[in-house]
Amino acid sequence: MLVTEVKKMTQAVIETTNLLKEYRGRAAVEHLNLNIGKGEIYGFLGPNGAGKTTTIRMLLGLIKPTSGSIKIFGQDLKRNKLQILRKVGSLVESPSYYGHLSALDNLEAIRRILNVPKSRIAEVLDIVSLTGEEKRPVKGFSLGMKQRLGIAAALLGSPELLILDEPTNGLDPSGIQEIRSLIKRLPVEEGITVLVSSHLLSEIEQMAGTVGIIRSGRMVYQDTIAHLQQQAAGDLRLAVSEPEEALILANRRGCGGTLQEGRITLPRMSDVRVALLIKELVENGHAIYRVEEHRQSLEEFFLQVVEGGQSV
Amino acid sequence: MGIFWRVLSAERLKMSKSFVWLLVIGSPAVAMLIGALANMEEEGQMITWEVLLSVMSLFHAMFFLPVLSGVFAALICRAEHADGGWKQLLALPVTRTSVYLAKYTMIMALLAAVQLLFFAAVLGVGALRGVDVPIPWTMFLASIFGGWLACMPLAALQLAISQSWSSFGAPLALNVTLTMPNMLIANSSTYGPYDPWLQPMLAMSPFGEDRFGAFNLPLESLITVVLGSLILFLAVGLFSFRRKAV
Repeated sequence: MLVTEVKKMTQAVIETTNLLKEYRGRAAVEHLNLNIGKGEIYGFLGPNGAGKTTTIRMLLGLIKPTSGSIKIFGQDLKRNKLQILRKVGSLVESPSYYGHLSALDNLEAIRRILNVPKSRIAEVLDIVSLTGEEKRPVKGFSLGMKQRLGIAAALLGSPELLILDEPTNGLDPSGIQEIRSLIKRLPVEEGITVLVSSHLLSEIEQMAGTVGIIRSGRMVYQDTIAHLQQQAAGDLRLAVSEPEEALILANRRGCGGTLQEGRITLPRMSDVRVALLIKELVENGHAIYRVEEHRQSLEEFFLQVVEGGQSV
Repeated sequence: MGIFWRVLSAERLKMSKSFVWLLVIGSPAVAMLIGALANMEEEGQMITWEVLLSVMSLFHAMFFLPVLSGVFAALICRAEHADGGWKQLLALPVTRTSVYLAKYTMIMALLAAVQLLFFAAVLGVGALRGVDVPIPWTMFLASIFGGWLACMPLAALQLAISQSWSSFGAPLALNVTLTMPNMLIANSSTYGPYDPWLQPMLAMSPFGEDRFGAFNLPLESLITVVLGSLILFLAVGLFSFRRKAV
């Protein structure tokens, strides 16, 4: 809870309130309350079809929410769309290009719309390490180069907020690594807030400070990655002589345990509470065979969350 | 307004260095060939500009102008339909209206280039075949400009279709299919003037003696129909584009 309070004190770059998007009565995104602070790298996680792209499209004004509000830089998106978009760079799905044009011309087309100085093109090419390739037609580019060019295009307007939808999708490991180190540099060097979506936790956990996990259109987790790691740290499993009775006793103490495969599974608790519980079980005549801490990987925990097995 | 000009400038760049210029040259080149080879001399009489224009403009206005209106509309939406093109373009600080009108302006600019080249082709062939009567500028300008003006509703209609269908080929197939019956519909004075695919031909043919069917219509009425349908198609397309979920 402390984490959430601290976060509220920093200025929110993106803040959505009860965001809802329905398609023919079916909610693709509902009650979504995103909160992304300045200078953060926010990992937006969820399985395919969970509503990530739908949310991002709403944030960019590409589709209209059914209800709810979106505030970016503290301004209402509906009313100040152009001013907001001027300070936002985005890459949604794979970017499209005019294949017959060079990287330079593709960037120039966007530069003309943004009305930024020509020198900015060389700068963004340098940031994504495409300098030297800019005169070649884009149709000859590899997928990784195209993706980097897409990021260059997103950076062209010197945005304060960068929204990247699955930027590493379809890339090979070295391409993923390149994009990842690029994204990690941005908040430090350019002071940019980044929202990056992915369906893989492993991709996000190495760069994001905060994660939001979305499942079936609903946010099921939103906190720092450190907190997520703590949550995943594991639960306690007890093998005892009379599991049913022992569980009743444990839950009377407020442990919130469940019975799984004849063992009592208890969520993470402090050493003192564990000691007290064991003592009480022994005093009540239970024989204790095993006390185990079950550590799960972050990935397992994430899967549990997105599959709905656990509410955080 | 500033946004419109910036988007237009970007659209111009996107279309440059592509094969679109071949399409612009294509129809005037064919018309030139027809004009150079057609047998127009009637028993010792000199070829007049009117005859030359009607011979050269027939295929150009009946077939190429309507088809090109559709091709340009489809081309101008093509890259945006591929991958996340509309998303990339519309997530920039632009209004949808300015994007739509810039794309429409681009189509009309390409058609204007076609018309100017066609005009040059007519003048060139005339000089080649020794037409030595003074050039009837008013008639020429009315035909060239009228043909361009009459493409406006069709271009607006084709842009409305192309922006909403993500396929590149389907709007083109529809367009060609509806261009084909032009020769038949031209005979109908009732439906002819209302057919956007036919309007370029009606507007371009010199208003001479031998009028029949839909050609038998005062220029003013044609312009009224053209402007009316232009406003309708442009409004429908713009309305749909502004509400488009991308």
